[in-house]
Amino acid sequence: MSRNALQLSPQADGLEQAAPAAPSSVPADAMPLALRGVSKRWRKDLPPVLEDVDLDIDLGTSTWIGGRNGVGKTTLLRIAAGLIDPDQGRAQAWGFTAAERRQRYQQLIALLPAGDRGLYARLTVRRQLTFWARIAMVDRSAVAGVVEEAIDAFALRELEDRRVDRMSMGQRQRVRIAMTFLAKPEVVLLDEPLTSLDSEGAAILDRAIGELLDRGGALLWCSPEGERLDRQFDAKLMLDRGRLVPA
Amino acid sequence: MSEIALSGSAFMAVVRRDLHVFLSYRTRLVSQVLTSVFSLTLFYYVSRMVTVNGFGSPDEYFGFVVVGIALVSVLYSCFSISETVRGELIAGTFERMLLSPFGGVRGVLAMTVFPLAYAFVLAAITLGLGCVVFGLQLHWATVPFAIPAMVLALLAFLPFGIFFSALTIATKQGSVGTSWVIALISIVGGLYFPVALLPGWAQVAAEVQPFTPATEMLRHLLVGSPLTTPLAEAIAKVAAFAVVLLPASLYILHRAIRFGQRRGTIIEY
Repeated sequence: MSRNALQLSPQADGLEQAAPAAPSSVPADAMPLALRGVSKRWRKDLPPVLEDVDLDIDLGTSTWIGGRNGVGKTTLLRIAAGLIDPDQGRAQAWGFTAAERRQRYQQLIALLPAGDRGLYARLTVRRQLTFWARIAMVDRSAVAGVVEEAIDAFALRELEDRRVDRMSMGQRQRVRIAMTFLAKPEVVLLDEPLTSLDSEGAAILDRAIGELLDRGGALLWCSPEGERLDRQFDAKLMLDRGRLVPA
Repeated sequence: MSEIALSGSAFMAVVRRDLHVFLSYRTRLVSQVLTSVFSLTLFYYVSRMVTVNGFGSPDEYFGFVVVGIALVSVLYSCFSISETVRGELIAGTFERMLLSPFGGVRGVLAMTVFPLAYAFVLAAITLGLGCVVFGLQLHWATVPFAIPAMVLALLAFLPFGIFFSALTIATKQGSVGTSWVIALISIVGGLYFPVALLPGWAQVAAEVQPFTPATEMLRHLLVGSPLTTPLAEAIAKVAAFAVVLLPASLYILHRAIRFGQRRGTIIEY
């Protein structure tokens, strides 16, 4: 079976630039995020949703993966984020898997899941962000500053004291995106991030991605084929019958 | 900031979150205090209506049963943790917890703190109402010792909540048998009547869980009920259950999460 290998050229200074985040004892060629021979099958009587997928995401790069609904984009992101395990292969950050060093893995890689879930309906935006910052194990003395920064960066000032269940879908999506970028992860995985966002929200997301790439982080964005994307990506791929191919 | 301090901060964030969510439901405390009032009223008049073998006076039985009522609320809080986890699965917030550096196991453990602390407060309110409204005679000389005894009892009860949370994560059903288990514990734990009234085989069941010795220990410290075993033995039993069951329940929780992650069902609800 041939490997489904795709690699992006690093545009930043690679591992050196990510030195504060990267584990000290990593191989020099270890990627910030790498999928190696990843396969996943949901049912034995169905073909695998991912088949022997290889993917390297380097620092300072942005990648888009598209594909039809139900083709396996979300599964790929969940495996990359360490949320679920592949049947075969490895998803690794700087050479280690989530199962091997879970806390470190989750500090390095953040996922925005698709949909509108993952918020505490009865908490205000500020409390939501503060909670997430502390769960992300941001240094306690930095939590207030990080939350203020997120409130400003994602234009949530007017909403900061509003409960999430009293907000529109687009406003909730902005909070979810803010939570994803809050702890300054090295690699951000976005699953259909434009859901419910208006043009202002999309512009805010674009700025956050720009800031991520400027500081040497990496982006992996998944959305259905045909979605209008204003952003330029370093690589555009399609997921088709379990395999990644150039778009 | 050290690893322990960061974990402690995340732990407390979960507790604060639960407090804020609780406070957002303005009538919850009132309704639960009213439930205690109704239970106290019911058993106050039951204690006056019937003569119970082994109790010298109606007040003695009332004191016995008030401690049982207080502990039932603690039991409900322990087992409610699995419902909380189920709610988190549905809301997608458990997925967020798993994606955080704090992680699922520590997250669930932290989720137990507020409900148990709240149950502790509710138990104190129940006892207070028993004293003020119904003339319950507390054994004040030993009441201060009931606080550490209660903490020990909570540590022994907690593993059951964690175990049911693990079951919820594995099966996606929050209330698999929890109400039956609470009812069973109420019987074999001697919460409403002495275990000695049970048939022999049921009394054996009373020996193999921490609820019976914990109830007896707390009852002795709070209202001076006589002990069937020495106090030190009851404490040792409860402590032994806590020491054995707590790590075991956390391991089972970890395995349940990993099982879901391997199968990919962790994101289902």
